[in-house]
Amino acid sequence: MSFLKIENLQVDLKEFRLKGISFSLNKGEYLTIIGPTGAGKTILLESIIGFHEPLAGKITLAGKDITKNLPEERRMGIVYQDYALLPHFTIRNNIEYGLTKKFGKGNPSIPERVEKLSEALNISHLLERKPGTLSGGEQQRSAIARALAVEPQVLLMDEPLSALDPQTRKRTRRLLKKIISEAGITVIHITHDMEDAWVFADKVSVLKDGEQLQFGTVDEIFHRPSCRFTADFVGTSLYPGIVEKCDLCSATVNINGLRLCSKDCAVPVMSCVDVAIRPEHISLSDIYPGEIPYHNIIPTKLIEIMEEGSTCTGFLSCKDTVFEAQFDRTRADALRKRVGSRLYATVKNDNVRLLQKSD
Amino acid sequence: MPEVNIFRLSLITLSMVITVLLLMAIGSFFLVPDWSDVVENFFKEEMLFSLRLSLWTGLVSTVLVLIFSIPAGYALSRYNFIGKGLTRSILDLPVAFPELVLGLALLLLFGNTPIGKALQTMGINLVFTKAGVVAAQFFTALPYSIRILKNTFDYIDPRYEFISRSLGYSQFETFKNIALPLAKNGMIAAVVIAFARCIGTFGTVLILAGGSEDLTNTLPITLYLNISYGNMGMALTSGIILITVSFIAIFVFEKTEAQL
Repeated sequence: MSFLKIENLQVDLKEFRLKGISFSLNKGEYLTIIGPTGAGKTILLESIIGFHEPLAGKITLAGKDITKNLPEERRMGIVYQDYALLPHFTIRNNIEYGLTKKFGKGNPSIPERVEKLSEALNISHLLERKPGTLSGGEQQRSAIARALAVEPQVLLMDEPLSALDPQTRKRTRRLLKKIISEAGITVIHITHDMEDAWVFADKVSVLKDGEQLQFGTVDEIFHRPSCRFTADFVGTSLYPGIVEKCDLCSATVNINGLRLCSKDCAVPVMSCVDVAIRPEHISLSDIYPGEIPYHNIIPTKLIEIMEEGSTCTGFLSCKDTVFEAQFDRTRADALRKRVGSRLYATVKNDNVRLLQKSD
Repeated sequence: MPEVNIFRLSLITLSMVITVLLLMAIGSFFLVPDWSDVVENFFKEEMLFSLRLSLWTGLVSTVLVLIFSIPAGYALSRYNFIGKGLTRSILDLPVAFPELVLGLALLLLFGNTPIGKALQTMGINLVFTKAGVVAAQFFTALPYSIRILKNTFDYIDPRYEFISRSLGYSQFETFKNIALPLAKNGMIAAVVIAFARCIGTFGTVLILAGGSEDLTNTLPITLYLNISYGNMGMALTSGIILITVSFIAIFVFEKTEAQL
């Protein structure tokens, strides 16, 4: 039985509406919610914790209907992007705040818990300071400690890492992963950063304009995006094609005259599909690699290389289709002199996914 | 030589002219009178009564204003409810009303009406009494205080309160532990402005509480009565006391506003 179940959750805040969100999580599962700005991610989080009253729908936690429960009765913790540490309290007071309510003022277990958590999150030396004097990373670790202190049943995080500089984000991500896996807590984490989804998530929900476009495992979302928007958002390339042949364990799809083999075989013959291939699943070689079982070999021409931070995208044309392949900068340096010449792109049958057209 | 900015220069000059004019008007209070006369007037029974009455009615009204404006300011800032816009407009009305009109409206309400009669049966008579002074000051100062507190709560991120709720605290506990302490400076500002408005209210007090000597003559009424008797010394003394109170109020307000 699922631990947290959201059924057809509808929230109307006049200027914004959440339109029937549903998903369920098992205990200890980690959900990341991705979507563009204004998709309703924060409102969804704040509705789950009970800050906004739903118009319709049901929230069940550990088998109990908590839809009408007050936020203080739900035992859920929340961490915001800008930390929201209480500015009139020290860091110690911030962490103790929830514990005082839970165990009563002066309970001897409170300082013990504060020490333990602050040690784990490396903020012991900051306990007597006011939030305004701390760096972003320190404030975020303190906010996480405050939320975890009361041992919530579910931890909700609204872009907890996005206000941090890349180095701090990397360190905090590692620390967060360790702390959360040790606590075995159920987490819902809003993010813009696909890396967060890859590193943390068991499940991913894609939100746009208050609507859930897709909910599934990381693999499903990244490899089998249900629509063009999700594909674009998670960086999966879609190529329109027609299914020519389909048997028990494979299908052949035609993309502008190029035939590719896929392991997806639950598609009707002659149907129009979107062929989803992640750019990092295409590898390139200068010479014909020979027949490789369960692989498609595509003769292409490298037309351009575009740098995107630490990675590069190569654009490869084949029979009026431009494929995108991703590689690191070292490989890009080697390939740069090959722009305009022939290259062989190899992609595994497993990594050619056929999506029935929905939009 | 830097180029003269005509626009900037004219704006600054205009501000300076109006400031100097105002300063001269206020300064005349301190330059014109004979100070030994002021000191003598200050200790006259009528003036001391007036000062005492103004201070205690001002204090009582300010406390009442705060008791009502904190919840009202919070509700207007945090909650959406039917008629919110109308409520705001009505609560703001007394700011735009001439004080005499507000006084007359209150006189009508608390006079021979069911509400007035009900209050009278409870022993509260607001017409031509000291309690009436408090009521008049209360309704004059209330909208200013609500406005300040609403703005104060608007500036406090509601997520601090969300966090508190998520950590197990009820709505009231959260209000007490988070919203109120964070609104401290706004509350100081509201107290100062409300007190200054209460002390300085003339028209509303005059109409509702009357201008009876030794009963409802607050400092502004003493000033007015003495002007009408031609007793300039007493009028000036009450004026100087009122200005001093206003100065202290504005000083405290500026100080706290800077920290908001």
